[in-house]
Amino acid sequence: MVKAPDTLERADNSQGVRCRMVAASLSGKAVGQPVMRVDGIAKVTGRALYAGDVDLPDLLSGRCLRSPHPSARIVSINVGKAKALPGVRSVLTGADVPDTCYGRMCKDIPVLAKGVVRFVGEKVAAVAADTVEIAEAALELIDVEYAELPAVFSAEEAMRPTAPIIHPEAVEFVPGAAASIHGELSMYPPIPNVISRLRVRHGDAASALASAHKIFEHSFAVPSVHQGYIEPHTCLVAIGRDGLVDVWVANKGPHIARTHMAAAIGVQENRIRFNPVAIGGDFGGKGSLMDTLVCYYLARAAGRPVRMVMNSFEELTAGNPRHSASITLRTAVDPDARLLAIDARVIFNAGAYGGFVPVPTLHGGYGELAGAYRVPNCAIEVLRVYTNTVPCGHMRAPGAPQVTFAVESHIDMIAHALGLDPVEMRRRNAIAEGDLTPLGEKRRHLRCRETIDAGARAFGWDKPKSPGIGRGMSTYEHPPGNFGLSTVALTIGIDGRITLTLGSPDTGTGFHTIAAQLVAEHFAVSVDEVEIAQGDTLSSGFEAGASGQRLTTTIGQAIAAAADRMKQDLAALAAERLNCAPSDIGIGADGSFSAPGAMIDRRTLMGWAAERGKAPLTCQGENTPGRHSDRTSFVAHFAEVAVDRETGQVRLRRIVTAHDVGTVVNPITHQGQIEGGLIQAVGQAMSEQIVLKDGAVITAHLGDYKLPTAMDIAELETILLPGGGGTAPFSTTAIGEMSNVALPAAITNAVFDAVGVRLVELPISAEKVLEGLRAQASAA
Amino acid sequence: MVPFTYLEPASLDEALALLAEHGEDAKLIAGGTGLVNLMKQRLVRPDFVIGLRAIRALAGISEKDGLRIGALATIQSLEVSELVRRHAPLLAEACGHVATVRVRSMATLGGAMAHGDPNLDTPPALIAMDGQIVARTRRGERTIPVDRFFTGYFGTVLERDEIVTELLIPKQPAGSGTAFLKFLPATQDDYATVSVATRIALGADGTIREARVALGAAAMVPVRARMVEAALSGKASDEKTLGDAAPLVVDAIDPIADFRGSAEYKREMAVVHVRRALVEAAAKAKEAR
Ligand SMILES: Cc1cc2nc3c(=O)[nH]c(=O)nc-3n(C[C@H](O)[C@H](O)[C@H](O)COP(=O)(O)OP(=O)(O)OC[C@H]3O[C@@H](n4cnc5c(N)ncnc54)[C@H](O)[C@@H]3O)c2cc1C
Repeated sequence: MVKAPDTLERADNSQGVRCRMVAASLSGKAVGQPVMRVDGIAKVTGRALYAGDVDLPDLLSGRCLRSPHPSARIVSINVGKAKALPGVRSVLTGADVPDTCYGRMCKDIPVLAKGVVRFVGEKVAAVAADTVEIAEAALELIDVEYAELPAVFSAEEAMRPTAPIIHPEAVEFVPGAAASIHGELSMYPPIPNVISRLRVRHGDAASALASAHKIFEHSFAVPSVHQGYIEPHTCLVAIGRDGLVDVWVANKGPHIARTHMAAAIGVQENRIRFNPVAIGGDFGGKGSLMDTLVCYYLARAAGRPVRMVMNSFEELTAGNPRHSASITLRTAVDPDARLLAIDARVIFNAGAYGGFVPVPTLHGGYGELAGAYRVPNCAIEVLRVYTNTVPCGHMRAPGAPQVTFAVESHIDMIAHALGLDPVEMRRRNAIAEGDLTPLGEKRRHLRCRETIDAGARAFGWDKPKSPGIGRGMSTYEHPPGNFGLSTVALTIGIDGRITLTLGSPDTGTGFHTIAAQLVAEHFAVSVDEVEIAQGDTLSSGFEAGASGQRLTTTIGQAIAAAADRMKQDLAALAAERLNCAPSDIGIGADGSFSAPGAMIDRRTLMGWAAERGKAPLTCQGENTPGRHSDRTSFVAHFAEVAVDRETGQVRLRRIVTAHDVGTVVNPITHQGQIEGGLIQAVGQAMSEQIVLKDGAVITAHLGDYKLPTAMDIAELETILLPGGGGTAPFSTTAIGEMSNVALPAAITNAVFDAVGVRLVELPISAEKVLEGLRAQASAA
Repeated sequence: MVPFTYLEPASLDEALALLAEHGEDAKLIAGGTGLVNLMKQRLVRPDFVIGLRAIRALAGISEKDGLRIGALATIQSLEVSELVRRHAPLLAEACGHVATVRVRSMATLGGAMAHGDPNLDTPPALIAMDGQIVARTRRGERTIPVDRFFTGYFGTVLERDEIVTELLIPKQPAGSGTAFLKFLPATQDDYATVSVATRIALGADGTIREARVALGAAAMVPVRARMVEAALSGKASDEKTLGDAAPLVVDAIDPIADFRGSAEYKREMAVVHVRRALVEAAAKAKEAR
């Protein structure tokens, strides 16, 4: 079934965004409008307050001494000379901080190394001094004697019986974190260095594979990459005379971070205040505490506030990058190229600590192992493994980009092996209305085929092409997140203006603007009448923070609940004022209240209410966290490349990205997520890679860790298929993780189409392509 | 970064005096794009940093028996200069390939030479144009051909107390064409995997009178491929002849393996790009005739 072109909305980048999808029920004032960022002017004029901008009297600078060894025993540390340096206010080693370890899934991370170091870059000692320069000079005066121990860097080697055990002692779990939605999860199963193993079965993959017409098996590898945010990890801790711990930190989930910090330092949650700050990019990487605990202990020891900013070297060598992964897929197909069974095994290299690795119960990583295809039988095994490398963390759809690269390459390889067009292969197997996902989940409003067709048509999939030009595609499906608690407060002032207080920062996605639009829509007012107040963790209700494409859904539901309550309260006030029953009150398109034959605007009503002590009026709202929504988003990417046969160089010429969407709350931020995600994916396909040598990261600056630049970006066309079903109240679907996950496979599939070279490891490099061409020539 | 004292002499003599006075403890700074990175990585730790910016005599581009380029001329100014485009298009082209506009507007040509980094784009261009470096100490002045200026990885013939004052580009031979190729297979903002600058001058009969081939990112220093040049002298300028000479470049280079490719790959890419650059230069030379 193919949609007529006139039902498609196109956003053509060369001419700016041109898509508006205002459903008839919307006011036309807020949701669906290209509203400017509510924090935009503050950010471009430099007025926005980032953690690094906070200044306090007597503020000190903190720096850490880091381990040069991937695995070693600390024989001795001598800090005498560092302490004696003028301007140094406190020096700490592992001996000066409590023994408690911290983490989100399991508590295995020490504040400072205690007796052993487990990766190059691990914090061994810390200094707070009057200036960064003095602190750095002091670090050079610290003598550490190490006794090197055997180390292991690859996950596969770490699982061997002879491998050194990186955490021989028992590790404490965080209650609840090890519960599983699907399948069987075991923490620390009896395999060396394995943190967790998840096994998910649906149907009977073993029998289906045993009796299949054809079986294909391929293995893939995806490297670790950095989130690439502009603002480095930054924190500032001040301990008040009354003992209140004030924290300013670039963190995407202040309430959760506060909880982890409270547990780690043994201070009550309500004696810690995380203050609101702007965040200079997150992409998932700003969820851990990073230096916050060291900063706290330095501040405590010095009796003065301390700020710590990771420099770019520390970011690239000791941040919390995405996991590298190796993936093996074995798939059975029938004579019609229909997928019958997938057996998948994924090994994620977690690095030296598991405290902030993505919780394996989250959907990311295993839910995508059979793609958005009808696969009746699945057997999935996911392992997360300790190695003596940088501990990994979250990054934009944790697990999904690695796994989707494998799945979408694998499907393409099967199509080519069967002599089938890759688009047809995907059309034939894509889930459609009524189908279950490979894990047996229900989805509604599925339009995978329609989206593939719309993209293929705009791309010109079937058009003739010159030699050396290749075309490839890939797909990805994922619902918005509907997990975790969101609590908001709406206040309507005596001037009738509305303030939303929420606990989530805007990590740079434009979420505060979205929130303002959602509020405005409920009251049919323009966004200018809504104020966003990001509360600190004492003054705002609990908020689980930005992750898993959840904020628009969960905070959207919380806003809806608060707005409903407020409308009832306002209707009661209006009824009192207009002498009628609350049920007779209607809200007008201009945000006013009307009863039969009477009308009152909000400002007048609130002024009247204020005189009676009934304004300002505040209502709380919260969401009902559930599992993932049964509504989903689907994307099909198409890429065209040119390959130079003499050098192996791949040039990305053109991308078409087709999205099945619900209501687009803000076409500018929506398109921003699409373009930003695609550019991030171009980097991960073509150039980005954290490279290790003997366990140490050697891509230690941006001259060697290559992010794409404006000159590397291809022509882009966005196709939106509006009208897809979304989640309440405004039928929205997710976009934040839809653009970055699947694109790399579309590009490598295009390389194969161009020159017949199959790349099963990212990133693409000209040299690898040339090697492939050579191998081809010598085989011929 | 380690603290240092910044000095800003107003004249060349003053700068030479300061350099002589502080010796090993001092470093000159021009655009700072190279030095500051080395200081941040603590590979260089000068107590005194001597800024050249205020020295008027080091600025400017003029035409006199070819081009005279002040050491402080920025890469950006060279990329867009009418004089450079007319008399040394190869240099303008190479400058256009240097990093980004932000780096180009800070980095200087004198700094690019004195830095001694074999991965830069401008040294091979200057070598292919028979460029020379004028350097001064308190004892006097000397002129050094660019292809004899570099001694090793980040090493040059400059003395500790010597300042690069000017770059000279002689009048380019009649009937010559040039080409600059920077091979960037990963991102467009990067140092070259290999870069090639060529100049071909054709005689009246259409044969090659003289060829120049220089490479960046191909060895510990920017190199000149004299074997290729010699093999082409007096030969026809057809693609076959040019292509047959290109493989001789491997004897002139000794690339190191890094994130931009293995040594073997870089050798192969040097051959491919020398051929392509020769073909392009020959075509331009034919047009110029
Ligand atoms: C991110 C980035 C990317 C880059 N990419 C490229 C690229 O792709 N291609 C390219 O060609 N270049 C590139 N560069 C520029 C190159 O690496 C050098 O930084 C630059 O050429 C140095 O020029 P400068 O004027 O900034 O020198 P400075 O940093 O000021 O000095 C460099 C060295 O030269 C000495 N020096 C400077 N001037 C003189 C003088 N007149 N006499 C004697 N000694 C002197 C200094 O003491 C120092 O040792 C890049 C730079 C950066 C920062």
